[in-house]
Amino acid sequence: MDIIKIKKGLDIPVGGKPEKRVVDARSIRCYAVKPADVVGMNPRLQVAEGDHVAAGQPVVADKNDERLALTSPVDGVVRAIVRGEKRKLLEVRIEQSASAAQPEPHKERNLKGSPCWWMLRERPFGTIANPYHSPKGIFVSMMDTNPLAPDMDLALNGRIGELQAGLKALAALAPLHVCLHPEQDQLAKEVNCGIEGCEIHFIEGPHPSGNVGTQIAAIAPIAKGECVWTVGAQDVANIGRWMTTGLYRPERVISVGGPSARNPHHYRVVCGACVDQITDAQLMYADYPAMTCDRSGTRIISGSALSGTQIAPDGYLGTYDQQITLLPEGNLHEAFGWMMPNFNKFSFSKTFVSGWMNLVKPLLPKGALEGLETYRFNTNLNGGRRPLMFTGDMERVFPFDIYPMQLIKACIVGDMELQEKLGIYEVEPEDLALCEFIDPSKTDIQSIIREALEALRKEATA
Amino acid sequence: MRIKWLEKFFDSIEPTFSEGGKLGWLHSTFDAFHTFALTPKTVTRSGSHIRDAVDSKRSIIMVVIALLPALLFGMWNIGYQTSMATGVDWTWIHQWWFGFLRMLPLIVVSYVVGLSIEFAFAQVRHHEVNEGYLATGLLIPMIVPVTTPLWQVALAVAFAVIIGKEVFGGSGMNFLNPALVARAFLFFSYPTHMSGDKVWIAADLWGSDAIAGATPMGELAAGMHPSASALDMLLGTIPGSTCETSVIAIALGALLLLFTGIASWRIMLSVFLGGGLMGLLFNAIGYNDYMQLPFYYHFHMGGFAFGAVFMATDPVTAAQTNTGKWIYGLLIGAFAVLLRVCNPAYPEGMMLSILFMNCMAPLIDHCVVARNIKRRAKRTVAIGKEAHNG
Repeated sequence: MDIIKIKKGLDIPVGGKPEKRVVDARSIRCYAVKPADVVGMNPRLQVAEGDHVAAGQPVVADKNDERLALTSPVDGVVRAIVRGEKRKLLEVRIEQSASAAQPEPHKERNLKGSPCWWMLRERPFGTIANPYHSPKGIFVSMMDTNPLAPDMDLALNGRIGELQAGLKALAALAPLHVCLHPEQDQLAKEVNCGIEGCEIHFIEGPHPSGNVGTQIAAIAPIAKGECVWTVGAQDVANIGRWMTTGLYRPERVISVGGPSARNPHHYRVVCGACVDQITDAQLMYADYPAMTCDRSGTRIISGSALSGTQIAPDGYLGTYDQQITLLPEGNLHEAFGWMMPNFNKFSFSKTFVSGWMNLVKPLLPKGALEGLETYRFNTNLNGGRRPLMFTGDMERVFPFDIYPMQLIKACIVGDMELQEKLGIYEVEPEDLALCEFIDPSKTDIQSIIREALEALRKEATA
Repeated sequence: MRIKWLEKFFDSIEPTFSEGGKLGWLHSTFDAFHTFALTPKTVTRSGSHIRDAVDSKRSIIMVVIALLPALLFGMWNIGYQTSMATGVDWTWIHQWWFGFLRMLPLIVVSYVVGLSIEFAFAQVRHHEVNEGYLATGLLIPMIVPVTTPLWQVALAVAFAVIIGKEVFGGSGMNFLNPALVARAFLFFSYPTHMSGDKVWIAADLWGSDAIAGATPMGELAAGMHPSASALDMLLGTIPGSTCETSVIAIALGALLLLFTGIASWRIMLSVFLGGGLMGLLFNAIGYNDYMQLPFYYHFHMGGFAFGAVFMATDPVTAAQTNTGKWIYGLLIGAFAVLLRVCNPAYPEGMMLSILFMNCMAPLIDHCVVARNIKRRAKRTVAIGKEAHNG
């Protein structure tokens, strides 16, 4: 068994790790389709308020290619169409119908043109996969190393048949690469069932070894002119469900955790689920409403603390997300914080005690650091914005054959030619999330990378 | 830790200094003091919602702390040198106090002039004041002879901050180490105040004539053997620029910088390697006394150690790639020794060597990055061929 070892990276010890148990969130009735999550989508509404939609029916489609559509996760009625600035379409809210009529299974089960197609994403640029393109490979990461990420073995438990069917369908499109952690040997055995064109890779190391971008870079980096497709592991099972039964019911096990979560664990939800019941359960004391946590003092993030999107307490799970993170807002001053020892603050740099934890840990008796190993992170920026003054640290958390600082600078100045030369096609913003996390000059690296990629995409399609 | 009254105080005066307030034009100054006393309550908006606790204030303060051993020792050495040269019998406390009184005006002038200019530029540009000068402002008085007139220090600081830094856009945008720009300015504008054997020892406070006392390198350049022993040089009880003499005090600072990861170990190590290799090369040639000097003498003479630890490692002006850092450091060490031995006009090569390599650092990085680009381009070409054949 060849193991790809990722050495560079960092596991951020965020407090509020979700327990390994799954609760079915059956009572959720509200769902949303969120075109704003999809990079490069120029959405056209396919439904109107009050319309009845069936599960799998397109709700919004791309103006340029109608086959790139987001589909309704449930049978229901369109309750609201939410628009933002400049009438940008943000989300379409759907209320599930009470009558659970048995839906008619689809006869034709071609993956291209199925309601699942949006689950395939394309790199470079992170758009929905273009069915006309021929990718050099399809990558599936069956591990998630983000802080407080769901336990993937738990999430895929009981879906092996669907998973295999999904992998088979994907392998028919292009060479398939599945990445697993060496400890997921049980899952690996079940996945490795002789599907033609499916290759299994083992990869270990700190975050971002679970990011599909890291895995692509380690296995077959993207060159200019190439593209690859990526699919989330749970979505592979969703595809498999559709391929075997003809029923469209995209489910995910999501982890709910974070320093603000009272009772962090996993939930099984349908994609696009409203999170209000979950946030209520995590933030409120049912018996003592007076002790209810201040909702405005908590940030609810769909996705990980590193690269998720902030949503309202009654917002909806993001299109491609498989976790909810609850963080306390950090809008507080601290006196002379820059020169205090700050035992309770985490830093990758060794200017804080926490930076030494990993070195000291092996020397101490087990359990001596109980409660000190995770940190109560909040959303404070922890400093002022500065020019990119410090060098050498980003390289330690960025396991790509790319010079991160140089790439970021090329993006800031908008030099497209240089960006290409430095390898921008190999990354998505989430791949540089750790660089952004550790950056002492507090630069918004992920949005800089996204803007640069968008500019390149527009150039390429123009 | 929260201090309520401090927060209240700043909250109460904030409107005065905000845009539209009476003193709105002083916003950057207010902001500098505000963020000094209270960490800002700014929260993340997008991207990574959590951020590392480190910021540039924390990093810079580590440099300042790392400078303290050398500074405190330097103060004592000023008094020690004076008492030795004049034959006055002082206790070590007295010697330190004498040095402290001689250093204080230099430090005050450096900070007042430098920070005033920094604040003014931040004000005009509506930027936050950058804390980088807290380190630079302490470095400048530490690398000049103790007898440097205050007006010269003020001029040098102004030159370094304006021409060395602000014209390029402020801290983080400069390509030359500002502290060394200040020293180079003094060195070329007022050479008689910066070298020779009359400048290293402070006369007592009541202004008797200058006292002669040559540095080991001055002696070597003049063709003599250094009178100080290797141990003296290691401890730093020799004449020299105010705080550069003690290798031990500098090593304490270096330990902190390496422990905290603020300074690059690659640069620090490679400067010594480069200097050592060059010294060995000269040993092998052995043409004159200076060339025959044991190679490690270069490490504890003059500003070599101080430059390697505190100047060459400045992340803004050093090479930025890891490979580049090795090349950059090796060449700094090698050039410093080359200048010392082969060019008697400049007894101290470290300053010029670092400034020269500051200029070369972008070129080094360019070449290192070009290799990465080439590798990627090859991959693209290979794919093109494959597609063509297939």
